[in-house]
Amino acid sequence: MGIRFNEVSYGYSSFAQGLYTAIKDINLEITEKNEFIALVGHTGSGKSTLAKHMNALIFPTSGTLEIFGHTITNKRNKKIKYNDIRKKVGLVFQFPEYQLFEETVEKDIMFGPMNFKITKEEAKKLAKQSLNLVGLDDSYLSRNPYNLSGGEKKRVSIAGILAMDPDILVLDEPTSGLDPAGKRILMDLFKNINETTGKTIVIITHDMDLVYQYFNRVLVMNDGHLVFDGKTEVLFQKEDLTDYHLDYPNTIKVLKYLNQELNLNMNVFQKTNAEALAEIKRAVRL
Amino acid sequence: MKSIIIGQYIPGKGLFYRLDPRTKIIAVLLIMISVFLLETIEQLLIGLATAIVLLLIGKISILKVIKGLKPIMILLIFTFIFQIILNREGETIVSQQMYFTGYTLLLLILAFIVWRILNKLVKYRFTLFFLFAAGVFLILSYVDFGPKIAEPFTFNIYRAGLEMSFFVVVRLLIIITLSTVLTLTTKPTDLTQGLEKLMHPMKKIGFDSESFALIISISLRYIPTIFDEANKIMLAQASRGADFSEGKLKDKLRQVISLLVPMFIIAFMRSEELANAMESRNFVPGEKRTRINELYFSHRDIIATIFSFLILALAIVLKVM
Ligand SMILES: Nc1ncnc2c1ncn2[C@@H]1O[C@H](COP(=O)(O)OP(=O)(O)OP(=O)(O)O)[C@@H](O)[C@H]1O
Ligand SMILES: [Mg+2]
Repeated sequence: MGIRFNEVSYGYSSFAQGLYTAIKDINLEITEKNEFIALVGHTGSGKSTLAKHMNALIFPTSGTLEIFGHTITNKRNKKIKYNDIRKKVGLVFQFPEYQLFEETVEKDIMFGPMNFKITKEEAKKLAKQSLNLVGLDDSYLSRNPYNLSGGEKKRVSIAGILAMDPDILVLDEPTSGLDPAGKRILMDLFKNINETTGKTIVIITHDMDLVYQYFNRVLVMNDGHLVFDGKTEVLFQKEDLTDYHLDYPNTIKVLKYLNQELNLNMNVFQKTNAEALAEIKRAVRL
Repeated sequence: MKSIIIGQYIPGKGLFYRLDPRTKIIAVLLIMISVFLLETIEQLLIGLATAIVLLLIGKISILKVIKGLKPIMILLIFTFIFQIILNREGETIVSQQMYFTGYTLLLLILAFIVWRILNKLVKYRFTLFFLFAAGVFLILSYVDFGPKIAEPFTFNIYRAGLEMSFFVVVRLLIIITLSTVLTLTTKPTDLTQGLEKLMHPMKKIGFDSESFALIISISLRYIPTIFDEANKIMLAQASRGADFSEGKLKDKLRQVISLLVPMFIIAFMRSEELANAMESRNFVPGEKRTRINELYFSHRDIIATIFSFLILALAIVLKVM
C-alpha cells in the first residue's frame, strides 16, 4: 500500500506572479515497509513540495495520490480523516521554528501524540523516549524550546514527530545545520529505526556522502520533475551529474582525481573513508 | 488570502506607473475630498464613471479591481442593508405587511438549509445569497397563516433610506477603487518615499516623517510574509495532527494557540533579525539618507496635479451652488 503518486502536479498560486508549478507529473511509489529513501535535488527543485504531499498537507493541483488506501485529489474529501493520514505518515519540516510553541520541550513533543488521543502519562513517556532517541538528555525536557540552539530545535522537532510513532517517516533536511557528529548520530538513529521496526523512511538531504553511505534507493528531483528513481550505486555510476545539478560523494571525487592524476586504475565506488583507503592501499602496493 | 488585492503592488506599464508617487498621493487625496463634497447621486455616478475612465486610461484591468473588491463586498452589502433598514426619512416607497407565524419559522429554516446546501454545490454564491434574501422577504410577506408567533409588523423602505444607502455604497466604491489604483501602481518603497517627502515640512513641529515612513514601509513589506508564515505554521501543526478543519471545539482552542504562539515568536524573531541586518548595513535612525532613485516631477505630474485640483474645484463649485 504505502504512498503512490499518479501524475501529480502542484502549482503555487499568488496574485502577483500567477501560477508557479513546483512539481510536474510525478509518478512514484513508496511501499510502507522497509524502505530507506533519499530525496535529493537542487535548491527549489520541489523536494519540500513533494514531501508535503506525502501526508496530504497539500493536495495535488492535478493527478491523484494514494496514501494508505485513501485517494487524495485536489479537493478536500469529507469522508477522509486527514488527521489519520498524518498519524500514519509523519513529516518533519525543514524549519523547526514553525512547529515549536509550548513553553517546555516536553509539552511540545507531547502535542503530537496528544492530538491522537493518548493519555497524558503515555505521552509523557513517549516524549522522554523520543527526546533521548534524538540524542538529548532529560534535562532538556523542562527547557523552553525557543531558547535552544538551531540544531537542538531541530532535534526537538524530530522528536515531536517520532513520538507520534508514524508508519512512514518523512524528514525534510533533518541533518542540515547539525555538526558532523550530530549528523551521524541522527542518520544512525534513522537507519536503526528503519532496520528494527521496518518503518519506511524518506529523507531529504543535500549531503551526497550521506546519500551514498546510508541509502539504497534515491529519488532525484530536477526543476520539478522526478528525473531519477533507483539504486544509489546506479546514480553515482552515471558519467555526468551536472544535468541533475548534483555532485558526487567525496570518496568518489577523491578517488577519481587520484586515478586521473596518478594514472591509477582504482575502483572509485567506495562508500566510506575506510573502504577508499583500502582501495588506495591496494592500488599503490601493486 | 492570495486574492486580496488591496495594498498589493502589481508591476505594469500604464500611465499611472510613470507618475511620481507624490503626485498620486496628492491626487488621490484631492479626489477623495471631492467625492465627499458631492451631494447628489447623479454627481456621484459621474464620479464613479470618472474613476472607471481613470482605470481605463491607466490600462488597469477593471476585472482585477472588481475581483479585489470581493472581500469588501460583504461590508458594502451590510452598509447597504443597514442604511435601508435604519434610515426612516422621506416618503415611503415600499410598505409591506409582514407576518411571523409557525409556518414562517418552518419555511425560514427550510430556506436556510436549502441555501446552505446549494451554497456548497453552485458557484455563484453572491447571486445565491440575494436569492436567499429575496426568499426570506417573500416568506415574511406572504405566509400569513398558521399559529402566530409575533405580531404582524410593517416593513417600510423610505426614499431617503434607499438613496442614502445607494449613495454611501457608491461613495465607498469610488474611494476604494482610487486607493486600489494608488497601491496597485506604486511600489511600497516609492509610496513611503512619497509620503515621507510630503510630510517632510512637518518636521518643524517635531514630527519625524522619516521614521514614520520607515515604519509604514516595513509593515507593508511584512504583511505577505506574515501570511506565508502563518500558512507554514498551520501546515507544520497539521502534520502533528492538528488539522484546523477537523476536531472538536475544545481541540480547536489548543490548535489556535499552537498557531498564535509561533506566529508571535516568529514575528519577534524576524523584527530582531531585521534590526540587526539594518544595523550591520550601517542604518542609523535619523541620519540623512541618500536614495538610489530620487523622485522627480515631470510634465505628466503637473498635468495630473492640475487635473485633480480641477476636480476638487468642480466639486466645490457644485457644493456651493
Ligand atoms: N508558498 C510558496 N509560494 C510560491 N512558491 C513557492 C512556495 N513554496 C515554494 N515555492 C516555489 O516552489 C519551488 C519548489 O519549492 P520547494 O520548497 O519544494 O523546493 P526544495 O526542493 O525543497 O528546495 P530547498 O532545497 O531549498 O529546500 C521553488 O521554486 C519555490 O520558489
Ligand atoms: Mg525544501
